[in-house]
Amino acid sequence: MSKESRMKATVNQKLTEMGERERLKELLRAKLTECGWKDQMKAHCKEVIKEKGLEQITVEDLVVEVTPKGRALVPDSVKKELLHRIRTFLSQHGT
Amino acid sequence: MSPAGCSHVNGYKVDNWKQNLRVIYQCFVWSGTAETRRRKAKSCVCHMCGAHLNRLHSCLYCVFFGCFTKKHIHEHAKNKRHNLAIDLLYGGIYCFVCQDYIYDKDMEQIAKEEQRKAWKLQGIALSLSAVSACVCFVFTGIGEKYTTWEPTKRELELLRHNPKRRKITTNCTIGLRGLINLGNTCFMNCIVQALTHTPLLRDFFLSDRHKCEMQSNSCLVCEMSQLFQEFYSGHRSPHIPFRLLHLVWTHARHLAGYEQQDAHEFLIAALDVLHRHCKGDTINDNGKKANNPNHCNCIIDQIFTGGLQSDVTCQVCHGVSTTIDPFWDISLDLPGSSTPFWPLSPGGDGSTVNGESHLSGSTTLTDCLRRFTRPEHLGSSAKIKCGGCHSYQESTKQLTMKKLPIVACFHLKRFEHSAKLRRKITTYVSFPLELDMTPFMASSKESRMNGQYQQSVDVLNNDNKYSLFAVVNHQGTLESGHYTSFIRQHKDQWFKCDDAIITKASIKDVLDSEGYLLFYHKQFLEYE
Repeated sequence: MSKESRMKATVNQKLTEMGERERLKELLRAKLTECGWKDQMKAHCKEVIKEKGLEQITVEDLVVEVTPKGRALVPDSVKKELLHRIRTFLSQHGT
Repeated sequence: MSPAGCSHVNGYKVDNWKQNLRVIYQCFVWSGTAETRRRKAKSCVCHMCGAHLNRLHSCLYCVFFGCFTKKHIHEHAKNKRHNLAIDLLYGGIYCFVCQDYIYDKDMEQIAKEEQRKAWKLQGIALSLSAVSACVCFVFTGIGEKYTTWEPTKRELELLRHNPKRRKITTNCTIGLRGLINLGNTCFMNCIVQALTHTPLLRDFFLSDRHKCEMQSNSCLVCEMSQLFQEFYSGHRSPHIPFRLLHLVWTHARHLAGYEQQDAHEFLIAALDVLHRHCKGDTINDNGKKANNPNHCNCIIDQIFTGGLQSDVTCQVCHGVSTTIDPFWDISLDLPGSSTPFWPLSPGGDGSTVNGESHLSGSTTLTDCLRRFTRPEHLGSSAKIKCGGCHSYQESTKQLTMKKLPIVACFHLKRFEHSAKLRRKITTYVSFPLELDMTPFMASSKESRMNGQYQQSVDVLNNDNKYSLFAVVNHQGTLESGHYTSFIRQHKDQWFKCDDAIITKASIKDVLDSEGYLLFYHKQFLEYE
């Protein structure tokens, strides 16, 4: 494993152990709902399902179609805030 | 993809499968306790490549974790013929034969129960946006997570029996209604307009949150509830608030009679009576009813109560004595009153933050707030007993905001009732649409004293930002005058309420008005 992935794993372990991961997930959920991202994604999923047909569609199809757009539409302010939260947490619980 | 699941799960549903599945959810999907979290942190990595991202799945038949994206779990399924796996992020069950996620009723039931258990253990905080009419509001205070609303059987019945629907568009006028003047009752009408357009209060009453415990018919909260029903009924004719007036006379005797009263006094009296009558709705942390009137958690306290910190510093030993008092409004002195307004103390760059217009030296709301929170030297005739010096010493006193209320009401003291004269101060005070209270917080004062002039966290901290939503104005003199109000609808539309007459107003009309009572609402809310 590369040094970067080892660091990622350590950070993830710390976040999970202290329950911070769950808190960050909830914060992210709330922020994305607030800024309308959730509704945009819902609308996009509906379009994809209409295109592919309700009977044939699988979760995998949706994931492949929706992931790139979802990642691109996350507002910068949300990214900044989460990054700040993570930094603060790591500085307080030194790794 | 039927809700009955696929036939391939039948091979799994043998022996003690339910308990095994529960253990998997508790340990690896939704870890509620510190112990399970530690175990999850250590063991939830892919057995083939060690990564923890890439949509990790756990095999249901044996202890194996594998990436979904890199197809590691697929390889395992093929080699060992273990056809079922569970997604560790969302708890979905994947069947490798059907090649899709399947929804088995029994398994879904277990998943829901385990998820709820884990949430309760964690007591996660919710957050919501205040300005949009958000109905998904949980007032229980327990760690309940936000879920979308599903109607119950009874609710479906009610919806079928009452087929009339109302569509809320951006220019619909629902919630706007005039109020008949019953004899100098414009002071009451303005406050009613402001309260019925306070978003949180509206949400509280329209979701039927008040459980009345009063035996008689004189509960003011019930009457408020009725009032909201009237305002949002869609009727366009003005409402006659005679019952409300009668209840106010009953519970606040000093306001009874047909003479003109002070709108600010009415506001405080109304909030007080509502607070007292809300006894049935106050629930503290243990789920018991709160008996302490000072530690109330009723809707009025939740929305309007803030904490004002008063620091008295002894000039000799520099010891500070701090007290925090609750408040429902902030009364601000104006220039032109008998108490001197200027000079202001240095520090606290309020005006540029709030972008108010300084029309050739006119006073701004921020100026008034700076004056309110400046250190004041209490003269030699007002010495305070110092706990440090054990004697009477001269001191300075400073007020700052310790806790900001969700709705902040500013009262510009235009009516002077001193021994020398009774008059109205008509000085124009400009106020902003958006207000940042950060410079007036107790925490900001502490940072300034410690030499930190800019907190970078504040750039991201939206907690102290407010939006104007109602303005009450007084025209005329102390002896005879008339109250009108401006209220905000749909984020950027303003309306002027003059008793029974409602007209559309521009933002300029609102900001150019004199201003007597200013109502601001927090822009973002965090649920504790």
